[in-house]
Amino acid sequence: MFLDIEHLTMRFGGVVAVNDVTMSVKPGEIHGLIGPNGSGKTTIFNVVSGYYKPTSGKVSLEGKTVSGLPAYQITANGFARTFQNLRLFKSMTVLNNVLVGMGHHSRTSIWDEILNPRAIQREEKAFTDKAMELLRLLDVEEYARERATSLPYGHQRRVEIARALATNPKIVLLDEPAAGLNEAETDQLRQILLKIRDSGVTIFLVEHDMRLVMGSCDVVSVLDYGKKIAEGDTKTISADPVVIEAYLGKEEEL
Amino acid sequence: MSMNIVSIFLQTLVGGIGIGSLYALVALGYSMIYRSMGLVNFAHGQIYMIGTYFGIIWYQGMVMGLQVPYPVAFAIGILLNAAFGLVLERIFRPLANLDLMLMLLGTIGLGYVLDNVAVITWGATGFAVQSPLPNTPIIIGGVALLPQMLLLIGVAAILMIGLNVFLARAKMGKAMRAAAQDRETASAMGIPVNGTNAMVFAIGCGLAAAAGILAAPIVYVNPSMGAAVGLKGFAAFILGGAGSIPGAIVGGLVFGVLEAISAGFISSAYVKGIAFVVMILVLMIKPAGIVGEVTIDKV
Amino acid sequence: MKNQSSIIKWIVLGVGAIVVLAFPLVAPNRYVVHIVNMCGIWVLMSMGLNLCMGYCGQINLGLGAFWAMGAYAAALLNTRFGMPIWVNMPLGMVLAGVVAALIALPMLKVKSHYLALVTIGLAETINIILVNETWLTEGPLGISGIQMPNLFGIAFDGDERYFYLVLICVVLGYLVARQILSHRIGRSFIAIRDDDAAARAMGVNVPKFQIMSNAIAGVYCGVAGVLYAHMTTYISPDIFEFKNALFVLTATLIGGMGSLVGSLVGGYGMPLVQEWLRAFRNWQLVGFGIAIMLVVLFMPGGVVGLGQKIEQAGGIRWPWARKQTEEKPKGGPNVS
Repeated sequence: MFLDIEHLTMRFGGVVAVNDVTMSVKPGEIHGLIGPNGSGKTTIFNVVSGYYKPTSGKVSLEGKTVSGLPAYQITANGFARTFQNLRLFKSMTVLNNVLVGMGHHSRTSIWDEILNPRAIQREEKAFTDKAMELLRLLDVEEYARERATSLPYGHQRRVEIARALATNPKIVLLDEPAAGLNEAETDQLRQILLKIRDSGVTIFLVEHDMRLVMGSCDVVSVLDYGKKIAEGDTKTISADPVVIEAYLGKEEEL
Repeated sequence: MSMNIVSIFLQTLVGGIGIGSLYALVALGYSMIYRSMGLVNFAHGQIYMIGTYFGIIWYQGMVMGLQVPYPVAFAIGILLNAAFGLVLERIFRPLANLDLMLMLLGTIGLGYVLDNVAVITWGATGFAVQSPLPNTPIIIGGVALLPQMLLLIGVAAILMIGLNVFLARAKMGKAMRAAAQDRETASAMGIPVNGTNAMVFAIGCGLAAAAGILAAPIVYVNPSMGAAVGLKGFAAFILGGAGSIPGAIVGGLVFGVLEAISAGFISSAYVKGIAFVVMILVLMIKPAGIVGEVTIDKV
Repeated sequence: MKNQSSIIKWIVLGVGAIVVLAFPLVAPNRYVVHIVNMCGIWVLMSMGLNLCMGYCGQINLGLGAFWAMGAYAAALLNTRFGMPIWVNMPLGMVLAGVVAALIALPMLKVKSHYLALVTIGLAETINIILVNETWLTEGPLGISGIQMPNLFGIAFDGDERYFYLVLICVVLGYLVARQILSHRIGRSFIAIRDDDAAARAMGVNVPKFQIMSNAIAGVYCGVAGVLYAHMTTYISPDIFEFKNALFVLTATLIGGMGSLVGSLVGGYGMPLVQEWLRAFRNWQLVGFGIAIMLVVLFMPGGVVGLGQKIEQAGGIRWPWARKQTEEKPKGGPNVS
């Protein structure tokens, strides 16, 4: 029992984006979620990360129900995410972006800023050290003091991942991390995913890039029109006729 | 003449509808401009004031001694203000869809300019305007109705209906709605978005002038008449739902009636306060306004 | 090289400090000092506004109300109970801060232009209360006879002496703000401004910080109010009208919204400009209005933003620039 999505349905007006989906992610897994455009993948992410309240069904992490909690509390419960279209904080440096992620661990308050600057300094140093470590893990340490949005696209993606990891999550949701990356960068991303997994963080991944999915996922769930149509390891999935049909039916390439 | 509670209430109601029609016309201006350009024009109150002057000066014989009949002055005022609107649209084009703060300040700057240009041109003390209609109230069912008030309500209603018909039927009107919904697609389909915006701005300003000229015989005309009405029109615009045309009308009327009732039955000092409190309550319950807002920003 | 620029910095700071401290002695007349004191008060309000609106992105135009809270608290406590400034100050701060927080509370989910309206409405309502509840506030006649402070045995009577009191408050205000902005809270504010949803996803308790930033704005305005009351010894409701909140807003924008230094520039710069323009009477305000429009259309980052643009375009570094500026003045296209 780790991340459990039970009978999740998400309706927007008349449109059913997610239709009674049940799935589980096991700890230490790299779990992929794929499906043609419009199949509901990002919607599921948005529900799990707290952006939407589910129309029905529930999401729980290690037995604790998280669906319906405000997004920032969900993060406190062990979730982190990245965004499909990169949402770094535009006016901040790389380092500060990552530091924001660390903020919710803080033990200082606004009064400490005036009354106990020593504690603040200590915390800043601890946070900064940890943040730099994460940047090192993702190979973007040298850009720490640069404005985050001035970096090349592939590096910005890594900064976003570092920022997500800074929240010290049990599971990180990556929303199309390979979007916009070239082959070499995608390979590097694969290595990063493995590194993350090895550090003890579970990965839940929405992706279109099949190379990345096949090359890194342990388990893959497939969605089509909001319903789960298949689930299994990468070999099983790529041979599954139902899956192939769903993709070919939309004239997409597997 | 016996004034029982019902006729007092009705009297207040009519007064509220009257002033509410005024607010509605002003709120419509805000809504139209907001819908098309994503711009909240905080100087709209001043535009209302300038529009009033544009028309009334002809009626008062302040322009080279010429004195024109009220309906003619009405038309001139609207046209002049609409033309002014075209100019303003051009100036504000870069502000549209920007930061709210910048928009706020840019239009506030304009407000300062208009306020003071009006004072310089026409003097800070205003004047009272004679109604073109007789001043004796018409009494219906115990309620005394000023003819000018009836004129205000009547013409305002005609304008509002006319606007709705225009937007629904006429080609230009439909183009405006398309441009408001999705600028890029509209542009791709050959709709001249900038031209359409200009027309919308012009209509918004024209409506404000109409409101002011109709109200002039009832309220006192002076350069500071814009500030209060501008703020209340803005409140009505928000109350009804930002960007919504029916919302502006509903918001304006509701706000007017609210004000009349608080002035009549509660306390005239706290009128503004009560109106605002009610509005805040409405917004808390239904953040998009009574009718619901029409957003143009895409998340 | 590094040591050299460090030394230059300290020398400049030292000279600057001496100039500032000696100001009242070298100023041409008392009126000038009075103006500068008023500027200090505007600066405090501007810093509060900047923290809330510039850095955290929370629109709050109710400044006049919070300022009034501080001023009336001080005025009433002093004239009715003889309370000295060092009692009035914390009380005024708390009152203004609490009111600001309470206003922010129901408005968390409300969109920006509504916020603008609501906060304006609040300020107007408070104004009405001030005018009408004469049993409390003496109404439109105002409260007079507020004593100038007497701290540690030094009588701060007269503009020249009051200058130092204002100066201390401004300096403290700046340092505290700087402190808040350099650490976690500041980062959270900016994150919320830059991308509310992403901030939430990163665990930032957005509602808490929204309220906090509003409360801080309230506190700064409260300080300004207390200082004002004790300085001018007379307050009345019309001083706290929306017009003045607008003035602070404009000053902040022209100085640089989203930059603490912008508050200093705007606060000290604008009133001086305004005084200079006073000779033009009605045309002054027209010029003012046009100036605002020009700034908004062409210089949205304010003076500070302009300075940064010049830096980036010309590849120069202003001698006072810090190593890495990350506070970008909000507004307009990304200054890149």
